[in-house]
Amino acid sequence: MSSIRCIQLCKTFRQGDEIITGLDNVDIVIDEGEFVCLSGPSGSGKTTLLNAIGGLDTPDSGEIHMDGIRVDQLAKGPLADMRLHNIGFVFQAYNLIPVLTAQENVEFVMQVQGVAAAERAQKARDILKEVGLIGMEDRKPAQLSGGQQQRVAVARAIVSQPKLVLADEPTANLDTVASSKLMNLFSQLNQNYNITFIIATHDKRVMSYAKRLIKMQDGKIISDEMQTPVSGDEG
Amino acid sequence: MSNVSLRLAWRNLWRHKRRTWLTVGAMIFSNSLLVFSISLQFGSYEMMIDNTLQAFSGHIQLQHEQYLDDPKMRHNLPNIVTTAKRLRNELKLENIGARAAGFALASSRDRSYGIQILGVEPLYESRISSIPGLIKEGQFLQQDSYDEIVIGSILARNLKITIGDELTFIGSGLDNSFAAGVVRVVGIFESGIADLDRSMAEVSLAYFDDSFAMRGKGHSIAIRANNIEAVTNLQIRIEALVDNQNHLAVRHWEELQPGLKQAIQADMTSAWFMYIVLIILVAFSVLNTQLMSVLERTREFGTMMALGLKPSNLSRLVVVETSLMAGLGLLLGIAVGFVITWYLSIVGFYYPGMEEMAVKFNLPDRMYPEVSLISLTLGPGIVAFGSLVASIYPATRLYRLLPIEAMRAV
Amino acid sequence: MKGIGTINLPFRAMLVLSWRNLWRNHRRTMIMLAAISVGVWAMIFMTALMRGMVDDMLRQGIQNLPGHIQIHHPDFRNDPSIVNSIDAPSGDLLNALNDPSTKAWSTRIKVPAIIASERETRGINLLGIEPEAETIISGIGGQIIEGRFLLDRHDKGLVIGAKLAERLETRLGKRVVVISQDPENNIAERGFKVVGIYKAKMPGLEEFNVYAALGTLQTLLKIGNQISEITIVDDDFRDIEVLYQNIKQATPENLEIKAWYELDAYLKYMLNMMDGFVLVWVIIIFLALSFGLVNTLVMAVFERVREIGLIQALGMRPGMIVYQILLESLLLLLIGLGIGNLLAIITVKPLESGLDISIVAEGLAMMGASSMLYPSLTASDMILANTVVIILGILTSILPAWRAAKLDPVQAINST
Repeated sequence: MSSIRCIQLCKTFRQGDEIITGLDNVDIVIDEGEFVCLSGPSGSGKTTLLNAIGGLDTPDSGEIHMDGIRVDQLAKGPLADMRLHNIGFVFQAYNLIPVLTAQENVEFVMQVQGVAAAERAQKARDILKEVGLIGMEDRKPAQLSGGQQQRVAVARAIVSQPKLVLADEPTANLDTVASSKLMNLFSQLNQNYNITFIIATHDKRVMSYAKRLIKMQDGKIISDEMQTPVSGDEG
Repeated sequence: MSNVSLRLAWRNLWRHKRRTWLTVGAMIFSNSLLVFSISLQFGSYEMMIDNTLQAFSGHIQLQHEQYLDDPKMRHNLPNIVTTAKRLRNELKLENIGARAAGFALASSRDRSYGIQILGVEPLYESRISSIPGLIKEGQFLQQDSYDEIVIGSILARNLKITIGDELTFIGSGLDNSFAAGVVRVVGIFESGIADLDRSMAEVSLAYFDDSFAMRGKGHSIAIRANNIEAVTNLQIRIEALVDNQNHLAVRHWEELQPGLKQAIQADMTSAWFMYIVLIILVAFSVLNTQLMSVLERTREFGTMMALGLKPSNLSRLVVVETSLMAGLGLLLGIAVGFVITWYLSIVGFYYPGMEEMAVKFNLPDRMYPEVSLISLTLGPGIVAFGSLVASIYPATRLYRLLPIEAMRAV
Repeated sequence: MKGIGTINLPFRAMLVLSWRNLWRNHRRTMIMLAAISVGVWAMIFMTALMRGMVDDMLRQGIQNLPGHIQIHHPDFRNDPSIVNSIDAPSGDLLNALNDPSTKAWSTRIKVPAIIASERETRGINLLGIEPEAETIISGIGGQIIEGRFLLDRHDKGLVIGAKLAERLETRLGKRVVVISQDPENNIAERGFKVVGIYKAKMPGLEEFNVYAALGTLQTLLKIGNQISEITIVDDDFRDIEVLYQNIKQATPENLEIKAWYELDAYLKYMLNMMDGFVLVWVIIIFLALSFGLVNTLVMAVFERVREIGLIQALGMRPGMIVYQILLESLLLLLIGLGIGNLLAIITVKPLESGLDISIVAEGLAMMGASSMLYPSLTASDMILANTVVIILGILTSILPAWRAAKLDPVQAINST
């Protein structure tokens, strides 16, 4: 059901005197439950595409449909609501609110959604356990390692069971072990809860976890193929 | 301070435009407020002093040494007219006049009031006091006036008399004899100072001398200096001229009108309390800005130290930055303050209900701030100084930086 | 797709977030708190001093009138002569005056006169009074430093000021002559024994006001039961309108009735000026603070740009961000106000027993104040200061808060 359809997306930026092409007539359809990796060098347009799908950025032209709703035409408020209820985000770094503990960070989105306190706390604890952070609930982000911080971010992204998780270079600041742990977690969540994952990365090992690999260059999709992911059990 | 670090400091200042402008804005606000209120203060004090002293007492008086505390008939000076003449010649100053004062019961046809009668030299009185110029009806005494009197407007109203009417007075002379006379009202003055308008009258000194059996004695020689700054100097010169006379005192206006001086002091004190609070608040603003600017540049400072700069170089940079900011606040604050104050010094400054206040302190009903070098620079100067003091703490923090840790800081 | 309704982060969660954010940069918060506290302290402290001084001026001024309300012959204030006397109150007016709602009232004679000792002569203000009521109204009975006050309305003695005694070179027990005129314009003259000497807070009055018993003066001036004025006091000079209207109703048409603020324009002006001063002073201090406040908030927003982008990406609506920044500002203001108010109370309370500023006594006398300053911390002044700070503080914070909400999440997240 939760399918994403992008039609003829275009986006350009100005940087100094230069005009940079972010997206150049991108057409793409992603179905529910897919595990997609967007790859390509920096500046290829993968982050721009991710932001457009997530409603953080609006394209210059083209359409984005999500469950039949034109995301590109939503106003700021409804866009915020859409993100709140349907999309989880994991960024490269600085994913967490520094003044809140791990538990509170995970609860934050649910607080905004208006989930009752007891239910919220229980869910947050459960999800932190699932991402392997038992005993770290009361630590502030500064007291966690990079990998732990990313896992808190994942916990927060999935706690309210979104249809879609968007992750932008989630492993860029992590070492090899932490990266593969995180990717295994993504694979499991994708399998167990049928959450759609779209991950922008230029890390080869991350790509190997994907069921579908989309390569981008200069704002265009240059290849789009299905692949067999490596098993989520290793590492 | 080399050109490079000056340029560096200037550029650093504009890395956070909004923050710098807000801090400079606080300075501009306080500085222009200080310029305005100090100018207004100076302007109104000067006016208060001038108006009060000109009305009656003059800048300096020669009196019997006990007259100030105990203004009685018998505390007088001999040969008052010749002494006044001598002073005029010696000091080459015409604004000097002899006076004698007595108390009397003044009666018109149907009213009686106790009044102060002053004997004055008509020719010179107009050079000392503003009363001759404030005649509302009739005219002031002439040089050869004899049994003529000038009275205050409220007294005229209370006595129910007007120009040309006769007035009888009864008092006691210097020798305790009965002093009485019938005088014709030739002028009515209105000084706006209720005490004077209610209870003062002036006759010629010659007539006073005869009526009160003064035999050439008088109570004071009033002197008006050309300007207020010259008073102290003039007092010293006069003291030198008359130092052989017994029981004589040369009184400065601050002694003659202690209330005036103290009213100004009281007002000054409360005004300075307010100014200091303003200055402290600006200093806090600067402290905040500079501390933030130092803290957020920790990594950058670490790099600079790694390159071989000493903490003292860096703290000097912070002080130069603050100085530039303070200088900007100073110049713009003075400029804004000057424009506002200068405008108001031309059109006058007024706030509702001021008349009552004005009457009480002998001020006109519009105030004119006085723009001067001091009033322009005093407040802003202190604000700039306070800002520099506030930069000490951020500057000294740099001495605690260690290059490696600093470079690691986010 | 779940519903797109209004979302609301619970207040407590917001409070936690704001509170922790406030202390992230504790140095900056402390400096700003110090600034707000000093500012608020200065607002209230200065206001308490000025209020105390103006209250004193008003009380002095009213005691000199004396009374809160006066009734005269319509010509008396322009021509304070014995001719313009009035009959002692009777009928409705007397009933109104004797009503329990009137705190005190008194009838007086007030005429210009001359006083002469063996050595000196002076012009004075001769007051014929009812000793008991007069003391309530003008407080004169409590100011006797030598001898006694007048005992009843037929006392034959005279009470003069210390300064006047000095001028006249007379003293307690000596005789002086008082000369005035009766309504027929004949000289009315009588010897009095000085039975009491008083010291006034205002040195000028000491030389001028001379007290005799009402009955004695009525006889001397040959005016039967007539008087110059009726003076009335209420409990609080600020709140006399009810009494004023009641007595006005009962006052015969041919008499003039005036409240203190009509009798002395300067006093009314002082009261108005004081209220104006408080507001102007509070606003000036606030403006001086506001630059720092905006600066602090702008810095707080600036260093949190990425985080604000993040919470926007997570789905927090822009309005919530405004709300959060405003809450942070409000917390800062409230703590600053708390400390400032506390400081003001701590510093004003010990001074309430009186601050000796006699070093400028004569200057204060010129303004109409005495040389002891009693700071007065009034609830209304404190409420005014606090309200102004909170309302203007929130208004000033709207700009930085709004800027934070306007941040573009993409740029915010990618900013370094």
